[in-house]
Amino acid sequence: MSFEQVFSLTVSGVTVGMIYALIALGYTMVYGVLEFINFAHGEVFTFGGIMAAVVLGWTGVSDAMPIWLRVVCLGGALVAAVLATVGLGLAIERLAYRPLRGRSRIIPLLAAIGVSITLQQLMILVFGPDSIIVPPSVVPAQFVTLFGSRIRVLAFIIIGISLLLMLGLTYIVRSTRIGKAMRATSQDIEAAQMMGIETNHVIAFTFAVGSGLAAVGGLLVTMYYGSIRFDSGYIYGLKAFTAAVLGGIGNIPGAVVGSLILGLAETYGVGLNLGLLMWFFVAGLAAGLYFQLVRAPKRRLKHIREEDRTPAYEREIMRLYRLAPVYAVRVALAKRTDALMAVSARHALQLTLGNVFLAVMAIVFFLNGHAQIDPQWQNVIAFAVMMIILLFRPSGLLGEHSQEKV
Amino acid sequence: MAKSGGKKRGPIATALGRVPRWVYLTAALVLAVLFPLLHSAGLMDMLWIRVAIRSLTFVLLALGLNVVMGETGLLNLGYVAFFAIGAYTTALLSSPSLGFHWSFWPLLVLSMVFAMLAGLLVGLPTLRLRGDYLAIVTLAFGEIVRTVFLNVTSITNGAAGIPAIYTPNIFGWVVTEPPQFYYLILFFVVVVVIALTNVKNSRVGRAWNALREDEIAAIHSGIDATRAKILAMVISAGVAGLAGCLFAYYQSFINPTYFLFMQSVIVVCMVVLGGMGSIPGAVIGAIVLDSLPDVIRATFSDWLPRVFGPTFMASWPAWLQSFFTDFEKYRLLLFGIVVVLVVIFRPEGLLPDTLWRSETHEEDPREQEYTRQTLFDIDEGNQDLEA
Repeated sequence: MSFEQVFSLTVSGVTVGMIYALIALGYTMVYGVLEFINFAHGEVFTFGGIMAAVVLGWTGVSDAMPIWLRVVCLGGALVAAVLATVGLGLAIERLAYRPLRGRSRIIPLLAAIGVSITLQQLMILVFGPDSIIVPPSVVPAQFVTLFGSRIRVLAFIIIGISLLLMLGLTYIVRSTRIGKAMRATSQDIEAAQMMGIETNHVIAFTFAVGSGLAAVGGLLVTMYYGSIRFDSGYIYGLKAFTAAVLGGIGNIPGAVVGSLILGLAETYGVGLNLGLLMWFFVAGLAAGLYFQLVRAPKRRLKHIREEDRTPAYEREIMRLYRLAPVYAVRVALAKRTDALMAVSARHALQLTLGNVFLAVMAIVFFLNGHAQIDPQWQNVIAFAVMMIILLFRPSGLLGEHSQEKV
Repeated sequence: MAKSGGKKRGPIATALGRVPRWVYLTAALVLAVLFPLLHSAGLMDMLWIRVAIRSLTFVLLALGLNVVMGETGLLNLGYVAFFAIGAYTTALLSSPSLGFHWSFWPLLVLSMVFAMLAGLLVGLPTLRLRGDYLAIVTLAFGEIVRTVFLNVTSITNGAAGIPAIYTPNIFGWVVTEPPQFYYLILFFVVVVVIALTNVKNSRVGRAWNALREDEIAAIHSGIDATRAKILAMVISAGVAGLAGCLFAYYQSFINPTYFLFMQSVIVVCMVVLGGMGSIPGAVIGAIVLDSLPDVIRATFSDWLPRVFGPTFMASWPAWLQSFFTDFEKYRLLLFGIVVVLVVIFRPEGLLPDTLWRSETHEEDPREQEYTRQTLFDIDEGNQDLEA
């Protein structure tokens, strides 16, 4: 494992993370304002990418053109894609989500799933089921050598553009009138309405900004990987959602942090030598078991008053941490049980699940020997991260509604 | 069901509502039993028996998902994972791939047990989460299960799947032909419908509905929320395991592409269309959505040409012709649009469940009243305290 390798993996991890962040911001802003997961956001992103690729195809951009003309074509395609995607986002919000506002939680979510399938199928019908290729003449093919590793210039362009957009978003949210209205709406939609804020406009604006960012993300993905397909949005959407949850959904900086962590975790997970990873998980498992069997029960017992600490009760708690699943079921099914027991059972079960996960990962990496991880498992990394975060800290790393908003 | 109306019902609906329910049930059952005879009489292609078997499998899945999504109000987007676990259990223990040849009943039970264990495993930690998070976690679980089946090639044979699953032998009755499978699956559909109807009308079912309507009120009425939710999750997983077992036997070959995320979404569409929380709704929703594409295709490429002559569509524009004859391509588009329209315009579905109807139309006080009285036993005198 050389430094060069780690450096180039880091750069590609940050690049992927930035792209996730552009999508995750759409999820997180909509959630912040409406408390609703816009399931169709992944498809909005795909639409942006496909539109950009199609418009680039129309411009007939080729290697024969001078550089500045190619950049103009790219810029034109970007603007067209962003406008089309913003229009799509607004249309979805107006037609499918606004009529459902105020219904019970499950209903808008179902509508979002329906919209997601509909969009995906329409994209197949309109653009065809095959990958749509972006003309290679607009993709910078140069490499730079940095710290001994060759890195695509495009990666730096992606990171730069994403950072610019995020700065712009921060400016809008913090310092403009509409940003103030957004923050107010996300704090309390009814109070905001009473203060004379047109919450419908604010919500539409949120959808528009989210869709625009997703369209830029779509173009960048298409340039980075060379092509995009009608179903690309499913997996990107899920990962971006994971990132948003990881950072704390509804929290704008959280979405960026979560995306970076997820991007790096994925690239390291797939790129690094697996023998190393197996030992990493074995070490994690050892630490986890030590914590579950020795530290956690002792800590838990500190919550009991000295006079209540009978040896029998101590034994019971110790056993609870050893046989967590059995106790969790027993405690869940018991009619009455004391609070400490219930909390401990839940905690012990979480620890066990974490340890089981570590053990499974160790076995998987052991069985795979020194081969690279199949890219299929890459998605599992993201899903596992999401499940762990949701189970142990559903509010995410930076909390759901950050101080910045208040 | 009859109580749900009350307002704005046309004369036909009223007349249909007066027919006792057992008449409908008997008619449906008789039609279902007589259906394969059309084939024996030479009136119908074998294709339709296969369509019916597929629809009945989806009926089982929709019934199972209805428990968790309709009755309890928890959205499960990875439901196909339990189906896959049931199918893989059967396939691995009753095919030459690992050399086992278990018989039908133990495998049926084992498939259900494994699916239920998976349901318990997902349910225990995740049911504390809010509804929309639960949807995403179950979705992730579904993808993980599929990825595992796809990548643990030494056992599951990866993408190539498990071929040559043995035919079931039920007390000497060897099930090989599609009509036999049809009756087998029909039998289990009837059993599951009866069982779930009884559960729905029991204490447990009322607890589920109460949790769906108002979790806080339900907990304060003494319902053990965790227990009820886990029970819902486990029962629905069990039904999916059962469906998976039958599916594996019928297909006699399975691979991970049968268990894509889209399958879960399709089952969700069926439950939504039929009416969340309604057992007849789940059955009708599954049958309609699953067989509609085939019916449309056959109508325009087979039945109508027979009636109006083979060239009746010749004057139509080409895209319209291909729209009807290759309807399969538009199947998922249809599902997506159906869900959006149903959710916006008729959230209670085609055959609504009484209580769910009352939640989706909040403006009707009579129905809210009905909900309160059925679920929470709030009598008239205490009404003032609430306001």
